[in-house]
Parts: sequence; structure tokens; C-alpha cells
Amino acid sequence: MQNSVADSLLAMQGISKRFGATQALADVSFSVRGGEVMALVGENGAGKSTLMKILSGAHRPDAGAIRVAGRTFAPGSPQQARDAGVAMIYQELNLAPELSVEDNIMLGREASRFGCLLRSRQRPRVEEALELLGHGELRPDAPVRSLSVGAQQLVEIARALVHDAKVIVFDEPTSSLTGHDVEHLFTVIRRLRATGRAIVYISHFLEEVRQLCDRYTVLRDGRVAGADALEGVSESDIVSLMVGRSVEELFPTVPHAPGDVLLSLDGLCGERFPIDATLKLRRGEILGVFGLVGAGRTELLRSVFGLDAVKSGRVRVCGATFSPAPRSAIAKGLGFVSEDRKGEGLAQGRSIADNLTYSRLQPYSTMGWLRLGARRAAVQRWMTQLQVKAQSPEQDIAALSGGNQQKVAIARVLHQDAHALLLDEPTRGIDVGTKAEIYRLIGQLAAEGKAVVFVSSYCPELLAVCDRIAVMSRGRIAAIRDTNEWNEHAIMEAAIATDEATGDDDERKSA
Amino acid sequence: MFKNRSLTFLAMSVLGVAIGTAIAGCGSSRDDGKRRIAVIPKGTTHDFWKSVKAGAEKAGEEFGVNIIWTGTADEQDKEKQVQLVDSLAGTVDGICLAPIDRTSLVRPVERAKKIGVPTVIFDSGLEDSEITVSYVATDNRKGGEMAGEYMAKLLGGKGSVVMLRYAAGSESTEQREAGFLAAIAKYPDIKILADDQRAGSNAQVALQKSSSMLQANRGRIDGVFTVCEPNNKGMLQALEDEKLAGEIMFVGFDSDPRFVDALREKKMHGIVLQDPFHMGYMAVKTMVEHLDGKEVEKVITTGEYLATPENMDEPRMKELLAPPKAE
Amino acid sequence: MNESRPETRSEYRGNLSGGSRALAENGHRTSGWQLLSTTLGPLLALCIVWLVFAFLDWTRPLGGTFAEVRSFQLIVVHTAAVAVPALGMTIIIIAGGIDLSVGAAMALAATVGAYGFLNGYPPAVAIGMCIATGLAAGVANGALISSLRVVPFIVTLGTMMVFQGVGRFLAGDTPIRPPRESFAVLDEFQAPFPTPAWQMFSPGVWVMLLLGILVSITLRYAVFGRHVFALGSNEATARLCGINVPLTRVAVYALGGLFAGIAGVYQFAALGEGNPMDGIGKELPIIAAVVVGGGSLSGGRGSVLGTLSGAAIMAVINHGCTTLNVGDMYQDILIGAIIIAAVALDQYRQRRMADK
Repeated sequence: MQNSVADSLLAMQGISKRFGATQALADVSFSVRGGEVMALVGENGAGKSTLMKILSGAHRPDAGAIRVAGRTFAPGSPQQARDAGVAMIYQELNLAPELSVEDNIMLGREASRFGCLLRSRQRPRVEEALELLGHGELRPDAPVRSLSVGAQQLVEIARALVHDAKVIVFDEPTSSLTGHDVEHLFTVIRRLRATGRAIVYISHFLEEVRQLCDRYTVLRDGRVAGADALEGVSESDIVSLMVGRSVEELFPTVPHAPGDVLLSLDGLCGERFPIDATLKLRRGEILGVFGLVGAGRTELLRSVFGLDAVKSGRVRVCGATFSPAPRSAIAKGLGFVSEDRKGEGLAQGRSIADNLTYSRLQPYSTMGWLRLGARRAAVQRWMTQLQVKAQSPEQDIAALSGGNQQKVAIARVLHQDAHALLLDEPTRGIDVGTKAEIYRLIGQLAAEGKAVVFVSSYCPELLAVCDRIAVMSRGRIAAIRDTNEWNEHAIMEAAIATDEATGDDDERKSA
Repeated sequence: MFKNRSLTFLAMSVLGVAIGTAIAGCGSSRDDGKRRIAVIPKGTTHDFWKSVKAGAEKAGEEFGVNIIWTGTADEQDKEKQVQLVDSLAGTVDGICLAPIDRTSLVRPVERAKKIGVPTVIFDSGLEDSEITVSYVATDNRKGGEMAGEYMAKLLGGKGSVVMLRYAAGSESTEQREAGFLAAIAKYPDIKILADDQRAGSNAQVALQKSSSMLQANRGRIDGVFTVCEPNNKGMLQALEDEKLAGEIMFVGFDSDPRFVDALREKKMHGIVLQDPFHMGYMAVKTMVEHLDGKEVEKVITTGEYLATPENMDEPRMKELLAPPKAE
Repeated sequence: MNESRPETRSEYRGNLSGGSRALAENGHRTSGWQLLSTTLGPLLALCIVWLVFAFLDWTRPLGGTFAEVRSFQLIVVHTAAVAVPALGMTIIIIAGGIDLSVGAAMALAATVGAYGFLNGYPPAVAIGMCIATGLAAGVANGALISSLRVVPFIVTLGTMMVFQGVGRFLAGDTPIRPPRESFAVLDEFQAPFPTPAWQMFSPGVWVMLLLGILVSITLRYAVFGRHVFALGSNEATARLCGINVPLTRVAVYALGGLFAGIAGVYQFAALGEGNPMDGIGKELPIIAAVVVGGGSLSGGRGSVLGTLSGAAIMAVINHGCTTLNVGDMYQDILIGAIIIAAVALDQYRQRRMADK
């Protein structure tokens, strides 16, 4: 922005990067002063990650220059970038779980003499770093595996401090944290800001950005769409910059009306979660399920589908009891879309056609032998219907964008002719345009008489899309109400407030 | 683009390594119209075979033939030896073969014969002697008997002994084992404590088996007999580890510089020796004579000798204990 | 740290490549070169290796024997001995597994077959016993892996020892050598130069080709084949899609065992005896054939053509080095280098694909 480059701790100027036919970044300038938190926002694919990869030394820019603390900075590798004082904190942590807090913090910077570790020398540095972060209570010799996610993140930040990082980049640091830990993290980041370091904060959550950051830079299609101080700017202004369209277009709805009960849970208990889940789902209804990470939303869906063991309780489909197992669930017309596309939902390395038809190959097989032509044609039809953009049905699923992968995952569920769709975070990690398409699709499905369970940790989309919303906390369904009886605040309260209530409950039970 | 490059890279690297190895190995194969005789040992790594090679090469020089020495490193990989015989048969005038297995090598030898390539068997027998020119070997049974008689003498006609076997299916060592047991059987006061362990061709395995055997029969063993070089090695090591070397009468088969020292220090008390150099020499000589159309003996023994701490410095024994070796 | 992370991750990668958009616009189809480097890569490598040896042999005085039909016949027979069990291994590796016991299972099967011949059973019965033994070994592997939930590497490491021990017990710790007349049907099965000569190759080679085609078709056109690929690419997805994972796994190992049993017939035919110790070390060239042929030990990838090429490459190197009179140790070095080169090349290709 207009601030002079001279007083910036980090200054990236005129950065361009091209991958094959795609211009990932075009003449992007981005600078952060010491003692400020800069928000970097934009849709997926807008170029945030490329920009940060260039900063971290993973990619080299085609054009442009970077200066850190006034010196030219052209890292050839992430190692060099770290040594030059640029640290990255990712949402997925890079820690060795079996090593202690101290060992993790000092990893690569061990104080040693003749190859022998000098713990006495590194202990003060570790304690100093933790103290600076306001978490002197963390025991340096505790194994990292025993810490909560939030505390593990602290260890990573402390590592950056020990490595003398001048610029610290937080890439979606809150996505796996609970509300409590998010607050802690913000306190820590504010402390870091006070030490005069330059902070880059990447997040999808604009509320967080408002709370924490001083200025923002919005990227869209590899260009800077806008950058300014945050004061006096509304969230919808930023969203408009991000997507280049108005907020109303983000949540398209399709009118639909609930019918008779399709799926009902009666006191369902899993190995740990869910606890005593009871709910009814009607045809033509979209039921939202909200919960913080670890509240048991995913476990609820997985037990219904039989992917996790069911300890007690009943699942009924169209009034008939069935014992959950993926095969019988599919036969009963349940469809499940996993939140973990890469690890579970899709077989990376296999074709679109394979992924789309794995759960139902019967239509194309005779005596166990496939008719590939027929299958290809059917897959092509589904791809057209859901607007999956790809070369051909035989293309490797891994080559598709997240949004298109998600469409294939949903197409599989539709292809297996599911009546009740269990969607676990279906819009996670996909761009805004595709999100809108998925909302519309969900609406259409409801209008066709299918029942949808929509699990999400993003309140606005639930409020916009669902008929009813259930809020989960500690494995229990804390409340189910019609959407118009909820607002974001109430949902959050329900998600957190029942924490204590259920805590009491547990005690009563064990007593 | 990169595919071209990477494939070219693969091609170049394969080419490079192949040419390198070819140059490295080509030295001896300069052809000059001489006869080519393949000599295939059971394995290439043990000293015994290096002496065989030296003998074969001497004969090659003497009779003006090219010796093609090829073998597998692993003395148990009979499948590979079968393939080796098949591969070589088309390119040579005659084969001298030490078969790893007496049954499995019958058919490749037969196939070689079918295309007019004769085979001389050496060291270890082949089941079907009809299809071979001659069998050049130590009389292994006799060697085993010598060991047995000597062991009986060492023990004064009574005591307990153990024997470590080689692998099942190897003719030569089975003969040694049988010969030893037959000789011992003549002494009713000598008991065989154990003779059912097979140590194979690997000294490491031999060491483990030997240690277990010594442990299991601790305090009861008066004598041990091992039937080949790696097993001698393993047993000697085990005896040293258990501090039993010298106390237990130890007779081995085949030599190695380490065993010469052991013999001198009386950690070993006798070694049955073959004459590998002579064996290699005779195998090639017999093949040359056969190719010249001469009549050759069907069985040729190359002698077996017993080295003891007492006679080990006699010139002939010295020569047999440290036979010439090809590099 | 950074480069080892899959990064913000597949979707990001997709978008960089212009994901959907760019791909749809370019719309380029699989080019000839792409096909060559992926599916046909191992076959191409085989041709190159063969040509190199043929050339080197040709430049030798009195050389030229390598390019003869006779050499070719030998190579294919040597290939078959590794390729047949490697076909089963291909299925296992595609399904994300590994079978270290294949050599021991082969030798055990050959031993049982030899026992059948020794006792004068009809040849069909003896061969059937041999194959059934392999199958049983495979079922045992699959059942143990599925029921105990122990990784295949460990289970098959264990069964490798068990099979060998069982074989030695059955054989009375000595090779079983049936009289030659008793297995006359197999006498020519793996003979490099069959009579009558119009057969070109030994029956064993023809059987190998037939089996190769069968496996190839099964992997491509059978529902089971799809399930195998699904299991190997992502077990969680397979479960999610209602595929019976334990049963599929048992079937995969059973098939692997079936091929080990058939390979036992080959081994018996080649050696004329059954010896439980003959399996030692045989699993390594078998696994190597699959890997050189483009199979991935992390599952989901592998092909019959690749595996056959991989086995043939090793046979060409062995025969070629013997023909050139290059020592055994150089063969080891060369084959080792090729294994590493093949995998490195494949990794490189994967990365390039991912970056595109």
C-alpha cells in the first residue's frame, strides 16, 4: 500500500509467478511494518499460498523483489528463508510428537558442543521464549504429544522466536482450535506484535481478522484487489473485494418443503461420541449441525453411516431399524460425504470415473465384469449435471481443484441414489463460487425430496441454507431449533454453554 | 519434454553402466579362435573355488584354451545356476560344472549335450552320470571316513561327538557326513550327540547353529566335526567365544589361512584337505582330452589328505593348506 | 519443513494449474509421449536394455550370440520364473500390501507337488496339490492380515518363516526328488528349447502370457479389480464406499498365493525336485519386478505389462552379462541400480505431474 517501503520490515514488490498457462501472481506488492498485524485474505486460489510459498522459499518468483529488514531477500529454500528470519506457522503443525517441548523448539538449533547436547544452555532460551508468549507454565520436558492442539501451536511459535524470526506468517492458524484457544492465540499474537515483529495473518474468518489485524490486503485472481487499514471497513466490503460480487449471491436458495420422516436416531451412542443423540430428519429438509471442533459432529454422521462403532441406540430409515455398516447404509439409501476429501473421501490417484462409481458398480457390471463404455457415458452425464470441470472421466481426481473434487464426492452419493445425504463440511477448502453452486445443489436436492444433514463449523452458511439447525457440544445434541429461531450468537452460546452442563452430567453418570 | 529427458537419462545411465561393466569384464574374453571352456563353480566367494580357478586357469594356459569362469555368489541358488548353464551352453565348446544340486542340474546338462556341448562334473556329483563326460572330485566319502577314524583316534575310542551338516541336497557334503558317521559307527563307545543341524553355506548361520549346539550339549561334547569351510569358520568362532577352543577335539574339512593358525594353536586338531587346484586343473584337462577325441576315465579322484598339528609343516601339506589362488 | 508438506493442498494445486479452467481450455489429450513414459515406460526400458546388450555383444569378436533366437528363448523362460509369482505380487502391491512369504510359499508348493509325484499320484493331482498349497498359503496370509490387523510386512515376514519350516517338516528336511518318469508331463514345461520347435517357447512361457492377460483383464474390467485399486489407493475411501475391505484383502492375498502355487509348479519343473529351502531370497526379485514395472509400494499403482517388463529386464541383464562374460557382481550392481533408477524416475514423474 501507500506506506513507504523504507519503514517496512517485510516488503514484497512487483511479484509475479506463472505456472504453465496460469498466471498465479501478477505484479503483487505486499508490505508489513514491524509491530503490525497484516491480514492477507482472498478466496482459495487467489494466490495467497503462492505468495507465501515465495516468501518461505518454496517457490522462486518470475519477477519482483523481496526485502526483509531492508536487506534483499531471495531464499533458495525454506531452510534459507527460516535462517533469514521468516517463519511460517501452518494450520497443520510440524512437530515431532514423541519429542519434548524443548527438543521441538530447539530442533535444528540445538545448543551443542562436540555433538553433545547442552541442555543447560538451551533451557533458558526455551523458557524465555515461552515466557515472552505469556505461557511460562508450559513444561519444557513434557512430550508434545501430551499437549492440546493450542499448546502445540505455541510450541511452534516459540520455535520461530528461538530462530530469531522477524516476520511470522500464520496460515489459517485457528481452523483446528476451539474458541478458548483462539483467544489465547490472539493474545500471543498481540504480544508478538508488541515486540516489533511483522505478522502476516491469513484467515478465512473475517471476524477474526477484524479482531486482530491492523491492516488488510485482499488478493483476487493473483492480483491485489485492495489494501488498507481495517478501521472503518465493513466485512461485506472485504467480501466484495474478495469475490468481486455481492454477498447476496453467495448463498443462493431453492424453495423446498419438508415431507415425512426419513431418518430417525433414537438415543444413539458411539464409542465416545455421540452421546444419546436423538433426532428426526424429513424428506425435503436440510438439517444443519453445528459444533466446535471435537464436539462430535463428525462422529455423529460416522456412527449413523456405520463407519464408527455404535454402542447403543437405534437408527431407523423409513421406520425400519437397521444396524449401521457402510454397505447396508448405502443399500438403505444413506449417502456420506467425508470431511477429509484427501484422506478418506476420495481415492487420490484414481480416475474421476472410479471415484464416482466405487459405491455402485452394479449398473455397469455383468457377472462381476465391467462395461467401461457404459460407465464412462454415465459418469460423463453426472459430470455435466454437476458442472465438474475436467478433461475427461478418466482424469486423475488429484488433478482437479478442491471444489471439483467435492462435486465428484457429492456426485458419488447421488449416483448411489441416496435419499438421505450426510454431508460433513462439504464446503471446506473450496472457493466461493463453487460454494455457491453447492448451496444451490443442496437446495435442489431438498426440493427433489431428499433429506440432507449439513455439518459445518461456519455459522453463516448454516443460517443461510438450513431449515433447522442442531448444535452439538461434547458429543451431545445441545439443541435443535428452526433456523429462524437461531442467530450466530445464540448458536455459539449453545455450543459453548452446554460445555459445563454436560460436564455436570458426566459426573452424575459416573457417580 | 521432461519425459524425453528422463527417458534419455535412463537410457544413458543403463548404457553407461552396461558399457562400464562390459569393459571391466571383457579383459579375458578377447577371442582368438581358441576353444572356450566354461568353468562353473558352486559359488565364487570361498577360497576353495579360488584355488579351483587357479588350477583351471593353469590348465587353460597349458592346453591353449580360453577359460570362462562364471558362477553365482550364493552357493544355494540352484535356479540361477540352472539358468547360467543354459545361458552359457550356446557360447562355449565345453562346460566344467560343480553342481549345486545333484538333481536340478541334470536337465540343463542334458540340454547342453543335445546341442553338442559336453560337460565334465567336478567337486560334487550329478545324479545322472550317463550324460556327463567324467566326474572329477575328491572322494568325499573317503575324506569323511578319514575324519571319523582320526576323531576316534583323538578320543581314544570313546566319548561324545556332534556333527554340523551343510545344506540338504549337496552331494559332496552329504558323502562326507555319511563317511564320518560310518567310521564313527565302528566305535560303539563313541556317541553321536547331535547330527541334525544344517548350517548352510553362510558362516554367520553356521556360527549361530554352532553356538546353540555347544550350549545345548555343554560339558558333554568331546569332539566336533564340520563338513566345509563356512561351517569350520562358524564352529571355530563359536568354540572361541565359548572358551572351548582346544578343549574339544575339532576336525574340519577344507582349508583357509585361519584354520592353519587354528591348527598350529591346536584349536583345530585335524583338517581333511582336498586338492582344489588339482581339481580345477584336472577338470579342464579332462574336458580338453575329451574334445580332442581321447578316451577319458569316468571317475577321477583328486586325492584327500589329513592335516594335523604334527604333519602340517611337511612341504606337501603346506602346499595343500595354502593352495595357489586366483585373484 | 515446507517442501515436505503437502501444502494447502490438492485444491490449491489444482487452482494453480488453472485447475478446472485451464484444463478445460487446453483440453489436450494424453499425448504419445505421455503414454510412452507412463504405461509403456518399463517396456521401453526393456527394449533399451536389450539393445544395449545386443550392441555390446555384437561388437565383441565372435559375438552376436545375444541377438539369436536361442538367447531370446532363454530370456523368456528365465522371465517366466519370476514373472508368474510377480503377477500375484502385482495384485497385492496394487492393493497396498506386500507379501514377503511368496518365495517360501513357492518352495512349499513345489515341495508338496514333488511329494505328490513321488507318491505316484496322477500328474493333475500332484500339480493341483502344488497350486492348492500356494492358494492355502495366500488365504492364510490374507486371513491373518485381515483378522489380526497387523501390517502385511510383519505377517508375511512371519509366514515366510512358517512356510519354510512347514516345508522342511513335510519334506523331512531333505529335498524331495521324485523319479524323473513320474513327472514327465512337466519335463518340458520350463525347457528353454521346446520340441517340437514350432512351439517357439516353453509351455511355461505361454501359460505366463495367458495368465498375464487374465490378470490384466481382471484388473481393468472386473469389479474386483476396481476394488483392488480402490483398496490400494485409499482404504478409507474403499470402506466409505461400502467395499468389503477384509474380504477383498483375503481375496487379494489368496490370488497372490494362487500365483505362488503356480510358480511352485514352475520351480518344480525347472529344478526337478521340491526343496523348501529353495524359496530363500526369491521374494526380492519378484517384488523388484513389480517395482521396476511401475508398481508403487504405497499402493494403487502397478500394471501387468510393467511387471512382465520388469521381470524381463532382470532376465535380460542376467543373460546379457553371462553372454558378455561379465561377473555376477556386476549383474547385482546393474539390477540394483535399475531398481533405484526406476523408482526415482517414477517419483520424479509423479512430482512433475503434481506440479502441472
